Amino acid sequence: MTGPLTRLAHALAPDPGPGLPLAHGVGSRHDLPLSPFYAYAGAFAALLVSFLALGLLWSSSRFRGDLSGRPLPLALQRVADAPATRTALRLLGAVAALVLLLHLLLGPDDPDRNPAPGALYVLLWVGLVPASLLLGPVWRLLNPLRAVHSLHPPPNPRPLPAALGIRPAALGLLLFTWLELVAPDNTSSATLLTALALHTGVQLIGAARHGDRWFAHADPFEVYSSLLARLSPLGRRADGRLVLRSPFHGLDATPQTPGLVATVCVLLGSTAYDGLSDNPRWITTLQTSPLGPVPTATLGLLAAVALVAAGYGLCAGALRLMNRTLTTPLTSFAHSLLPIALGYLVAHYFSLFVTEGPRTVMMAGGTDNALAPAPFLGPGGLATLQVAAIVTGHVLGVVAAHDRSVRLFPPDRAIAGQLPLFALMIAYTLGGIGLLIA
Amino acid sequence: MRRPRAGVTRPPLVAALAAVLAAVVLLTGCGGRATTHHKPGTSHEEATGGTGTLLTARDESGHRLRELPAAEAPAVRVETRPDTEGGWNVHLTVERFRFTPDSTGGAALPGRGHARLLIDGREAGRLYSPWGHIPAGTRTLIVRLHADDHTTWAVAGAPVQATVRLDGAAPPSPAPTPRPTATGRTVDITVSGSTVQPPPSRVELHQGERLTLRVTSDRADTLHVHGYDRELPLSPGTPATLTLTADRTGLFEVETHESGLLLTQLVVR
Repeated sequence: MTGPLTRLAHALAPDPGPGLPLAHGVGSRHDLPLSPFYAYAGAFAALLVSFLALGLLWSSSRFRGDLSGRPLPLALQRVADAPATRTALRLLGAVAALVLLLHLLLGPDDPDRNPAPGALYVLLWVGLVPASLLLGPVWRLLNPLRAVHSLHPPPNPRPLPAALGIRPAALGLLLFTWLELVAPDNTSSATLLTALALHTGVQLIGAARHGDRWFAHADPFEVYSSLLARLSPLGRRADGRLVLRSPFHGLDATPQTPGLVATVCVLLGSTAYDGLSDNPRWITTLQTSPLGPVPTATLGLLAAVALVAAGYGLCAGALRLMNRTLTTPLTSFAHSLLPIALGYLVAHYFSLFVTEGPRTVMMAGGTDNALAPAPFLGPGGLATLQVAAIVTGHVLGVVAAHDRSVRLFPPDRAIAGQLPLFALMIAYTLGGIGLLIA
Repeated sequence: MRRPRAGVTRPPLVAALAAVLAAVVLLTGCGGRATTHHKPGTSHEEATGGTGTLLTARDESGHRLRELPAAEAPAVRVETRPDTEGGWNVHLTVERFRFTPDSTGGAALPGRGHARLLIDGREAGRLYSPWGHIPAGTRTLIVRLHADDHTTWAVAGAPVQATVRLDGAAPPSPAPTPRPTATGRTVDITVSGSTVQPPPSRVELHQGERLTLRVTSDRADTLHVHGYDRELPLSPGTPATLTLTADRTGLFEVETHESGLLLTQLVVR
C-alpha cells in the first residue's frame, strides 16, 4: 500500500511547509517490499501454465457477455429496483457528501483529526473497489451529484458526441490520481475543497447541458465503479434481469466505448507510479531534481501512464498486423486489462483500506487522533496477498484475452494471435512486481 | 495497646471491674494517641508507631528518618532503561519491602510503605509498585523508601535509597547526545539544502530492534518518523538523536517537516 494519505500525519507541525509528494496522502505505514524470487517465480509459472492450458483446452469462445447469468428471485429484483430503494440510496449518498463537506468546512485542518481526507482517499476511492466488486456499479446509485442534478434536470438535454465515450472520465481519473499521488498538501481542507468544487462544477455544468447520461461518461468515480463492477458476480443481463454470473461474462460484456483504453491505462499507470513513489532512488530523483519535486512527480505519473499505454499500443499494433480483419485492435482487448488493474489496486491498497478505513470511521465517530489498527495480516501474509492479487489479475486477464482472441481470430491463428498479448502480460508483470519489490 | 493489668487476688468483683475497664479502655482507645484508626491515606501527621527508632534528623524533603537495624531494614536497587517515546522507564528491586498503597497514611510497619522519586534533588512523585516512568532530561534520580506514615526508612542515620545517574539529557534540550544505554543500529544523516547525505535509502530492521537516528540539519526543522509518529526538533548544525524500538512492521518514512525531505525509509520485518 502507498497512497494519498501519508501527509495526513503531520499533526504537530504548525506549518507543514511545501510537502514532498510521497505516496498516498493518508496512511503513515507502507507495505514492505516483496521477496523477488517467489514473486517472479509464482507470477511467471501462473502466466505460462494458464497460457498453455488455454491454448490446449479452450479453442472456442465461451463467454456470452450480458446474455448469460442465473436470474435472482424476482422479489429481490423488485426490492432492488423499487423507487424507494433508489431514493434511499440517493439520500444516503447526499447525506454522506454533506457530512464530508461539513467536516471539510468546519473540522480541523489536520488529517489526524478530520475524517474528510480519509473518507475521500480511503473510504471512497479504495472502498469503491470492494463495493463495486460485490454489489455492482454502486456509485451510480449513491452519486450525490446525481441527487443535486435531479433537483433541476434540463428540459431538453443535448446528446453527447459519440466520440466522447468515457474520455472525460479518463481525464478525471488522471487528475484524481495526480491529487492523490503527486499534489502537495493533498489532505489539507483548502486543497480538497478546491478539488471538490472543480469536480462538482464540471460535472454539474456537463449534466446541465447533456442530462444525467453525462455522469456515466464523465464522472470519474462512476466510470471507475462501473468498470470494476464488470468483475462483480452480480450483474444485469441484456434483458434487464438481475443475475448471478461468472465475472468473466460480465467482463466480456464491457462496452467498447471510446476512452476505455485510456481509462484502463490511467488506472494501471497510476498504481505503477504509486509503487514507484516508494522507491528511494525515485525519491532521491524527486528531491534533487532541478524542476522541483511536484513537476518531476507529475512527469513521473504521466510517464507511467504513457508507458503502460505505449506497451498496450504496441501490442495492439502487432495484433492488427497479424489479423487484417481486426479493425479495432485497441478496444477489442482493453477489457483484459481490467482484472490486471484490479489486481494492482488490491495489492497497493489492501492494507491502507484495512488500517486507515477503520481509523477514518473512528474519527468520524468522534475519536480524536484515532490510532490506526495494525493490519491483521503479518508481513508474510500481506506479501502473499499482494503477489496473489497481481498474479490472479494477470491470469484473469490472460483468460479474458484468450477468449476474445479465439472469437476474433480464425482458429488456426488464434494461439499465435495472442502472443503479443502474452508478451504484454509478461512485461506488465515484470513491471508491476518490480515496483512492489523495489 | 497498653492493657491495664487486672488484679488476680479478688476474683469476682475485681475481675468484673477489670473487664469493664478493659472494655472502656478498648473503646476509647487506650488513652494514647491514635495511630491506626485513620482510614488509609487520611492522616496528616507523621505517626509515631513503635517500629524502629524515630530520629530527629529529616531528609531533604522534610520527612523524619525511621532507623532500623541493617538486618531488618528494607533495601532498594534501581534500574532505568530509555523509553521509546522519551524519558526513562524505572524499575525498582526491593528486599524486605512491600508496596502498600492501601495503608498509606497509617502507622509505620516494618517492610511496608512506598517509594519516592527525587529527580535532580526535587521530589517528583511516589511509586506504589516496582515500575514507573520519569521524564527525559533527568540527570540524577534518587529512589527512597518510605514507611506508610511517610517517614523515611533509614539505616545508620542515612535514608534507604538508590541513586542512578542519567547523564545523557534527552530532548527537548537543544543538543541531545546519544543516550548511554541506547543500543542497536545507529544511522547518521546530514541534510544541507535539499541534499540528503547519504542519499535516501532503506534501513532494514528486525521487529524489536533498536534504531538511533542521528540527524544534522543545516536549518531549523522537525524530524518525523511516520508510523511511529516520533518527532524531534532539529537545530542548525547540531546533531540531534532519536532512538526508537522498531515494534511495528512495515515500510516507514523518516522525513523533515519544513523542508519536506525524505531522509530514509525504515523497513521493519
